[in-house]
Amino acid sequence: MPMQVIVFSWEFPPRIVGQLANYVKKLAVQLVKNNIKTYVVTYHDYLTGQQSEPEGIKIYRVTNPVHTHIGVLTWVLTLNQEVERAAADIYYDAEKRIDLIDAHDWHFIPAAVTLKKALNIPFIYSVDSLEEHRSHGANSPFNMAIKSIEWLGMYEAKRVTVKSEWMKNEVFRIYKVPLEKVKVINPKSAVWMKEILEVYEDVAGGANDA
Amino acid sequence: MTRELTVMMLTWEFPPRIVGGISPHVYHLATNLAKNGVKVYVVTCDFPGAPRHEVIDGAEVFRIDSYKNPAPDFATWVYLMNVNMQKEAAAIVNDLNGKVDIFHAHDWLVATASIGLKHVFRKPLIATVHSTEIGRRNGIHLDYERMIHETESWLTYEAWKVICCSNYMVSHVKWAFNLPQDKLVMIPNGVNTEEFAKFRDVEKNGDFNAFRRRFALPEEKLVLFVGRLVYEKGVHVLVNAVPKVLEKVNAKFVIVGNGYMKESLSNIVKNMGFAHKVIFTGFVDEETLRKLQICADVSVVPSLFEPFGIVALEAMAAKTPVVVSDTGGLSEIVEHDKTGVKVYPNNPDSLAWGITKVLLDKSYADYIRTNAYRKVCEKYNWNLISQQTKTVYTSVLEEYSKSAWAGAVKDTSIL
Repeated sequence: MPMQVIVFSWEFPPRIVGQLANYVKKLAVQLVKNNIKTYVVTYHDYLTGQQSEPEGIKIYRVTNPVHTHIGVLTWVLTLNQEVERAAADIYYDAEKRIDLIDAHDWHFIPAAVTLKKALNIPFIYSVDSLEEHRSHGANSPFNMAIKSIEWLGMYEAKRVTVKSEWMKNEVFRIYKVPLEKVKVINPKSAVWMKEILEVYEDVAGGANDA
Repeated sequence: MTRELTVMMLTWEFPPRIVGGISPHVYHLATNLAKNGVKVYVVTCDFPGAPRHEVIDGAEVFRIDSYKNPAPDFATWVYLMNVNMQKEAAAIVNDLNGKVDIFHAHDWLVATASIGLKHVFRKPLIATVHSTEIGRRNGIHLDYERMIHETESWLTYEAWKVICCSNYMVSHVKWAFNLPQDKLVMIPNGVNTEEFAKFRDVEKNGDFNAFRRRFALPEEKLVLFVGRLVYEKGVHVLVNAVPKVLEKVNAKFVIVGNGYMKESLSNIVKNMGFAHKVIFTGFVDEETLRKLQICADVSVVPSLFEPFGIVALEAMAAKTPVVVSDTGGLSEIVEHDKTGVKVYPNNPDSLAWGITKVLLDKSYADYIRTNAYRKVCEKYNWNLISQQTKTVYTSVLEEYSKSAWAGAVKDTSIL
């Protein structure tokens, strides 16, 4: 049986905000090539629903039922419910055989955590950037809330992947994540996909021994 | 049925955490459902000194770690608290092997958590809408308010049935969120007459007069207002009626509650020269409140907007005659000249007329308060209300059993 994974990302082509969109696309394409059934749950204003990409990726785009917001935080927190619903739909349609969720950055961590607690699906927290650096150390209630979500992700994830040794040290410095839980996977490395597959193999098979 | 019907209720307040009316509502509903053979789990915010897990009168209560960092604003705190609530609730349901048949949410304060739980466990969601943002604010004026309004709308969209506590709220919610009529169910709020009966014994011991003298002279009639001192509760209408009542009858006005209008109201009273006739008590403890409701010669509910009007029911349960403004849920609770007096909303002359009528005509006052007490016992008792709620649960489960979801879930032994 091929492994079945769900990837969470708040950006995915054609919606491109930063560099994460193209990275996650590249990741998903490579996963499919390596015989992994790959679902991507992402956001789009109106291109919603399930679709198959030519490369074989299954995309499930959701929008936010709450249109009016006072900031990115309320937007993300409400959107999480739709991400969670889409992932649950995939889970039940796939006869409850989802091996893991790979959540990119903090946005959909709350959904990943509930899915873990409810359905025993383990998740990987793939860190691209941290609020500490994005906000240059600001500690307003707004920044603290995002940090608390990042902390929750670090704590509940079965593994944390980062893209550099520097980020590994930052994750340890800021969130006190045990170093053996953190794996550096350099996207530029020749063994990038091999290392990702190793982590996936490691994580698949249960949320409870995190 | 191989096991009892099981419901998980989500609420942001449950005793001892009391912010408003949802807390006592869920307490009475949950405990009476338990008496009527429903297994009830209540998931709610934690509170200093209250245990994380306990059984209260048959209902199993879990208190979750509510978000305690400083939050940017109240609504953002609500969404953050919901992250924790659904995380912990999901773990509880998982521990129960999915043996929860229905999720029941109370107001938008638990909307995102309950919507999430519905979808991950594929179980039906029922929502009770106690109040709406568009009603509380008398319209939607800011993005912040619209965000809450849209969250409320989303909750009603996701809910299998929406319960409201009055016909007025059914119409209001139907209009506010464009809902089909068959999604809405009216089940009234209730009141527990025993809470008053236990304090009425004090009256027999003669303690009652001493208690009353803390607030009014023996020759003064006691006019009681209980509520938040905010515009929608219409307490300013009562203050403007004070001189008109005092022209006809000697009375003391006792105003219980706090709110942003307190200072301006007390200034108006001073400027009218009636500071000796009006007492602002602020918040009082439950015993004092119940005794005041029993001692009062008339209880006044002059609200401009009132989804239900639980204080009117409390007064009726305390066997005190009520004067209410003819609006919202109050219009349905009170039958004019039979179980109370209805007056025009936002009209001090009309309010003063109603108060004076009750205070000057003792046989009329006795007639309406006796009828009112009987009505409360017949219609607004929690046992009956919990049975009506159980009927909604049963009919939703019946429909659910025929849905595509029923086959997809872990546990269907109830069906």
